[in-house]
Amino acid sequence: MNENQCVQQVLSGNTSAFKHFVESYQDMAITIAFRICGNMQDAEDVVQDSFVKAYKNLRSFRAESKFSTWLYRIVYNTAVTFTKSQMWANTQVAPLENAIQVGTNSLEKQFEETEREEIVADIMAKMPKGDALLLTLYYMEDNSIKEIAKITGLNESNVKVKLFRARKLFGDLAISNYGLQITGS
Amino acid sequence: MIIMMKKYNEKKVDDEISQIISSTKMKAPENLKYRIMHQIEYESSLTPKHSQKYKKETKENGNVLKDLGSIYGVMYAVIALMTIIAYAIEGVEFYLSTEYWATVSFVGFVFSLFWLVSRLDGHLKSKSKYTGEKDLQN
Repeated sequence: MNENQCVQQVLSGNTSAFKHFVESYQDMAITIAFRICGNMQDAEDVVQDSFVKAYKNLRSFRAESKFSTWLYRIVYNTAVTFTKSQMWANTQVAPLENAIQVGTNSLEKQFEETEREEIVADIMAKMPKGDALLLTLYYMEDNSIKEIAKITGLNESNVKVKLFRARKLFGDLAISNYGLQITGS
Repeated sequence: MIIMMKKYNEKKVDDEISQIISSTKMKAPENLKYRIMHQIEYESSLTPKHSQKYKKETKENGNVLKDLGSIYGVMYAVIALMTIIAYAIEGVEFYLSTEYWATVSFVGFVFSLFWLVSRLDGHLKSKSKYTGEKDLQN
């Protein structure tokens, strides 16, 4: 059953068909909400609220965009409203305390998987919320620039510029905090 | 060549970032799905269902067509019977007379009026039912 059929099922009264959307998108939704809220408890509330909003407004969903894009836009707006945060203000990066200068290593080769996850999570936490969110949307789900623009409400060229800066910042933080260089090798 | 190399390198860096960032995708707690579905089911039981409305509309449309078919079906049967009797008694010339066409028009008018009254009645009934449901919800 494809997504449009699922949407039609929900609209015709089959509430349980909505479970398909919850199961498919809850992980990414919680990741987006966490990037904005900064803690798991709020992120869960935001995701729950977002899915309920999506259900209530399912009639307004036009199949012009992907369901995921539409849903992530709701999650994004709900999280921003919930935290009352300014996503795209010029924020300073957290000071690089405890920077370990151990030369340059490849992130993949040098660390175990769990350690690597912790490092990436730490780097993401040090980045401004907006930058971390853009990297998440772009790299985690392979969303296109156009889709990211729809989700965040920014224009496409703005997304490109911010994404470029976020990528650079991610690399800089990896080097300065952990001495890791992302070389692509 | 240098540009191509640069692009190739950028793509490799992109792939690496993609791989390491993907590993940090969060897992929603197991109970979240149940919380969401529970709230959705609870809210949909409280609010007037779109689906019910949709079904009702479809049913109503069905009724309109059914009424239209049955009333006008009888009308055409009556006109056909009249025509056959007129042909048997008066012959084919009667079809060109004013009396024949006036009678056919009258029959058409009466049945149309009957259909209109039945639609109006149905509309008023559904309206009073809806108001009753609304009062109950309030």
